[in-house]
Amino acid sequence: MHIPDGFLSTPVWATLDALALPATGFAARAAQRGFDESKAPLLGVMGAFIFAAQMINFPVGMGTSGHLVGGALLACTLGPAPASVVMTAILAIQAFVFQDGGVLALGPNVLNMAVAGVLAGYLPYHLWGGGRFRRAAIFAGGVLSVLASAVLALSELLLSGVRMPPSVLAVSLGLFLVSALLEGAITMAVVSALERIQPGFVRQPASAPALLLGGLGLFAVLLAAGGVVFASTAPDGIDSLAIRSGIAKPLAAYGSGASVAGVVLIFLLLLAGGRMMRRRSA
Amino acid sequence: MRHNAVDEWSRGSSALHRRAPASKLIAAAVFLVVVATAHHHLPLLACGWLGLLLWVTLAARLPLGGILSRGAVVLPFSAVFALLSWMEGAPGIAVALILKSYLSALAVLLLVATTPLPELVRSLEAARVPRFLLTVVQFLYRYIFVVVEEAAHMRTAAAARGGLTFRAAADALAVLFARSFARAEAIHRAMIARGFDGHFRPLARRRFAPPDAVFLVLASALPLLVRTVGEVLL
Repeated sequence: MHIPDGFLSTPVWATLDALALPATGFAARAAQRGFDESKAPLLGVMGAFIFAAQMINFPVGMGTSGHLVGGALLACTLGPAPASVVMTAILAIQAFVFQDGGVLALGPNVLNMAVAGVLAGYLPYHLWGGGRFRRAAIFAGGVLSVLASAVLALSELLLSGVRMPPSVLAVSLGLFLVSALLEGAITMAVVSALERIQPGFVRQPASAPALLLGGLGLFAVLLAAGGVVFASTAPDGIDSLAIRSGIAKPLAAYGSGASVAGVVLIFLLLLAGGRMMRRRSA
Repeated sequence: MRHNAVDEWSRGSSALHRRAPASKLIAAAVFLVVVATAHHHLPLLACGWLGLLLWVTLAARLPLGGILSRGAVVLPFSAVFALLSWMEGAPGIAVALILKSYLSALAVLLLVATTPLPELVRSLEAARVPRFLLTVVQFLYRYIFVVVEEAAHMRTAAAARGGLTFRAAADALAVLFARSFARAEAIHRAMIARGFDGHFRPLARRRFAPPDAVFLVLASALPLLVRTVGEVLL
């Protein structure tokens, strides 16, 4: 889900753009150090692969099909920082050349997909990728990666005042879950096929305790984002709670409080993510 | 091989094509921010902004229909959310979503349709966007159509054999991944053999000339003027 320009309110896009700049810088520096600068062609062609992979349809029954999103697959094969750079490059090309996603909304889209999506996709692999639960970890990575990006995007839209009937919101959450499970299944299937073709492609998880910190920050932000989305599906509950506890203007109070909390938590994620990438590269 | 129409458009020779990329980049950014931060009388302001964008399109001798329809790729997405907002009793938000997303997409499209991507990337580099990221962006753009064509061949072949199962699609993607990886390593070796050290050296530097400054001032002031006039008059 690429957010176009005109959807996010000014505080939301401005804050997220300001946060995306240092995050992108950290990721680029970390990837460059781990990879040496002349390997840029490799990352570029792998980005082109992710573009092209969307042409291969995976049948899922009942005449429907899905395709790979790619954050988790890139993270397992290239490592988190290079994967983040590749996803950022893809989003930039899509925003500028293909009008898919906005330019002012590039920061939010990068944070949703190239930072949170890649981190969430890599974390399970990092924790359990070497052991008995390797396949399950890869599956979980794909699921979490799509789920994290979608929930963040949805919460940003809701914070910006885009209105959605609660029933539609519930249905779209269900659809996100389905496509997240599909991404998990596709990622797992492609990684096992890759390991059959040439075992060296899929890297073994390296030990980097700082990743846990990044994961913790990510978890906090997702919890906040999930809270925003959940609160919007059940506004009546929040309203009655607020009225019972004696807040005069329940909705207004809730709205501003949630946006501040969301922005603060997203800031925390960025700090944690940036620190993680710096430590990895050190 | 299939090419992007934007590539062809960006190689024009109009006065707008000849402006320094930085001036166009800043003007586009100003336009986006002016549109994004406007809240009142949007339909009327949108007419003024659309007029400006159409004027730019004609001045740059770009195909009007092509630009308008390409910018419209955002509309299906916007329409869904606009419809939802409308159902929720917020028609103002619905109209704003459609107008703002379409105008912004047109503005970005005009930027890339008058500026070749390598030049745009160079001005982004001057704006201190990480160079490594920009090099990746350039390679990515160079190889999109190559790898997409390879994927299209695989898809055609699969369709000729009667379609893909889930497992076969995963195998196909793994093969595409391995082939892309092998291609990338071959490109990497070839570039090292030619002395590539991680970034591109432009043969000619683009200077910021007085006409570029005039364009920048005008192009930044006009959208703002439209908004101010609209808000004062109404």
